[in-house]
Amino acid sequence: MSYSALRLCSGRSAFEAIPDPRLSLDLAHVRARIQAEGVPVIDARVMLIAGRRQEVTIGRDGRILLKVPRAAEADRLFERVLGWIDRPRA
Amino acid sequence: MLMSGGIDSPVTLHYLLRQGHEMLAVHMDNRPFTDDSPLEKVVDHLTILRDRYHQKIPLYLLPHGSTQIQLMRETDRHVGCVLCRRFMWRSAERIADRERATFLATGESLGQVASQTLSNMRSATASVHLPIVRPLIGFDKQEIEAVARSIGTYAISIRPGLCCQAVPDRPATKSSLVQILKEEERVDVDAMLDDVIRHAVVL
Repeated sequence: MSYSALRLCSGRSAFEAIPDPRLSLDLAHVRARIQAEGVPVIDARVMLIAGRRQEVTIGRDGRILLKVPRAAEADRLFERVLGWIDRPRA
Repeated sequence: MLMSGGIDSPVTLHYLLRQGHEMLAVHMDNRPFTDDSPLEKVVDHLTILRDRYHQKIPLYLLPHGSTQIQLMRETDRHVGCVLCRRFMWRSAERIADRERATFLATGESLGQVASQTLSNMRSATASVHLPIVRPLIGFDKQEIEAVARSIGTYAISIRPGLCCQAVPDRPATKSSLVQILKEEERVDVDAMLDDVIRHAVVL
């Protein structure tokens, strides 16, 4: 499994990372890890939406969407998300 | 009139205002499945059209994120777009009833996106009773964009913005009303709608 580099999403207002091949994350486990850090999280069954000012969407297939405007900020947040889902950066 | 922040809805509103209809706008606030940009775009679209037609055009902002969460949790993801649209129509109709509006309007045109097939439109709009007008139904995208440029809304519509994250990977392009109604039985439609209307804000 590897995550391609963070790239600007098609709408140009967020950054996304898509794993190849796609994953099958245990979102209940990921949610527990996020909550353990005191980060608010919404569980929409097929995806988690975490954070307040820096919002992250984590799909069951491992797709990550980081709703931040700058690449450096997205990169820092991405590192944190990789910890939540227990996956290394490629 | 349902306003999304995209290219089509201000063009639709422009045609209806040009015909002399008194209009009100409804925006379904899809956060956290999108960002702030759709709402900002709708507000800017309305600023232009209010100036152009000297109409107040109230904007109803209705929360839609919690509806989406419930639909994602309880129903088949493939028909999520149709179920979502049924909730949008019903919410808009509730506002229309409150304001004594006589029709609903949308910027849909046939075949433009996966959810806008004839069978999906039928399944979606079977949830409401008011007539629905679709001034752009036979337009192609180039025609709509040309009008959007001429009325000054195009540049606003194409500003960066997040697409709806609740859209499934493979949305159904052909839905049967029977299937949709069965899926909808999994949620408490009236309670969800009551909640949406209770949290409506007029801008």
